[in-house]
Amino acid sequence: MAAMGPGYRDWRPVDVGATAVGVAERDALGTTARVVVWPPNWTGRALAAVDAELALLDKQASRFRDDSEISRLHRALTLPADIGEAPLRRSGIVSEGLAEAISVALAAAEWTGGLVDPTVGGALIGLGYDRDFAALPQGQAHEAAPPGPGYVPGWQSVRLDGRRLRLAAGVRLDLGATAKGLGSDRAARAAADCAPGGGVLVSLGGDIAVAGEAPLGGWPVLVSDEAEQQGREPAVHGARQVYAPQEPPGQLVRLPAGALATSSVGCRQWQRGGRTLHHIVDPRTGLPAAGPWRMVSVAAANCAEANAAATAAIVAGEQAVGWLTAQGLPARLVAHNGSVRLLSGWPTAAGGLVKVPATARMPAAPSGRPDGTGRPPEDFSRAARPDRVR
Amino acid sequence: MEHDYPEQPGWVRLPGSEEDPRYPHGADYPGDYRRGAGARVSGVRRVRQASNWTAALLIAGVAATTGYFAHHAPAAAPATGVTSVPGGTAATGAHKPSLSGPVATTSGSGVTVRTGPGGTRIVSYRDN
Repeated sequence: MAAMGPGYRDWRPVDVGATAVGVAERDALGTTARVVVWPPNWTGRALAAVDAELALLDKQASRFRDDSEISRLHRALTLPADIGEAPLRRSGIVSEGLAEAISVALAAAEWTGGLVDPTVGGALIGLGYDRDFAALPQGQAHEAAPPGPGYVPGWQSVRLDGRRLRLAAGVRLDLGATAKGLGSDRAARAAADCAPGGGVLVSLGGDIAVAGEAPLGGWPVLVSDEAEQQGREPAVHGARQVYAPQEPPGQLVRLPAGALATSSVGCRQWQRGGRTLHHIVDPRTGLPAAGPWRMVSVAAANCAEANAAATAAIVAGEQAVGWLTAQGLPARLVAHNGSVRLLSGWPTAAGGLVKVPATARMPAAPSGRPDGTGRPPEDFSRAARPDRVR
Repeated sequence: MEHDYPEQPGWVRLPGSEEDPRYPHGADYPGDYRRGAGARVSGVRRVRQASNWTAALLIAGVAATTGYFAHHAPAAAPATGVTSVPGGTAATGAHKPSLSGPVATTSGSGVTVRTGPGGTRIVSYRDN
């Protein structure tokens, strides 16, 4: 493990049993970030680049930070409309970074037919996911009342024209289905620029993007069946370590390029009204998705697309098989009964190479529409500028 | 004897460098007249032909070998080492590492795997 030098105190060196790569982890964006770099001499510079990208994304798109740009615009743009005013009445200028995050979320919504919708934020809050997951009460009733269907305004109620954003009154954005993937993509690109001739893998809570040159045979990644893990060792809140005598269950695959992401209903669970809820909301019902899949892993040209496809598959249920096959995306779907289905170039053997599509399947962001309000937009991007002193 | 170039003063023609008009190009010479000229010409021709075939076979062999290894790189081969790049020298593709165990985990529950003291495999859960 290469020395990381001052300024990287938050990163913990990780021993994966190979000295040919530098590996480090830290807490970021409410999850665990892991960076793998070869040659390991570049690790310090790569971590610095990843730090900068993650800090910027956190300031831009975290709905759990009061001082984030998206929180500021929520407070300003989603105030209840005055009587007689049209709902679509407020607009603001957002930073380029947040504009990109929102445009990717809208593109994912259009691509998935609305199954991945950034306007589920209000429904999530109604279901009790109203703070960072680490702060949610675990294993006990969050509230006595059973949850009802949340209101999902629909992604069409969001208008983005360049950096100009309009939200309908009451709309709250949740970019969780795409922002982590976008963060992995950004961080991997930035880190690879710091490792010329080498390669980088960035994982944000299991949303993995790679850039640069892959090791021989591709990046080895374990697709873990977490429910089996939890069956062995009951899950409790917070980090824990278990000394395992053997490899955990799942499948080892090799990623030559692109990205790999997993969505699951077996994590980020909480209790409300006697029901176990999870964080993947079906925009059609406003309730947690109730399809047959416990966990879906998808490989794609970039991580935002992989994450969106995996989440859409959880929501789509049985229809996910046909949709993923039509998209030509390699996928591994694990049903609640433990049966596994492999699609479109996902390897059947352990250690097999994932045939990642060379080009993105998700189209570019939907074109912006004219605002027409006539009001001068407020500039919210100041909240996310890295040089701003708080 | 006709020449397609003028004789240069001071130049001396090597023995056997001219063909006898009685014996066309490639034909053997009688034993008592300029012995060895025909054999030399045909020998040079055979060497050239052999060289051409050898070069062609070498090129084809190198191409085939390169193609084979490009498509059959052993995934579990021992690591060939990583370029040491103190001061920022770029690494080269020839020194790509070969990794056998997982370096990252994708899962809905943030499962990570690392090696602990004594080679113990440590599985960490993080419900995030």
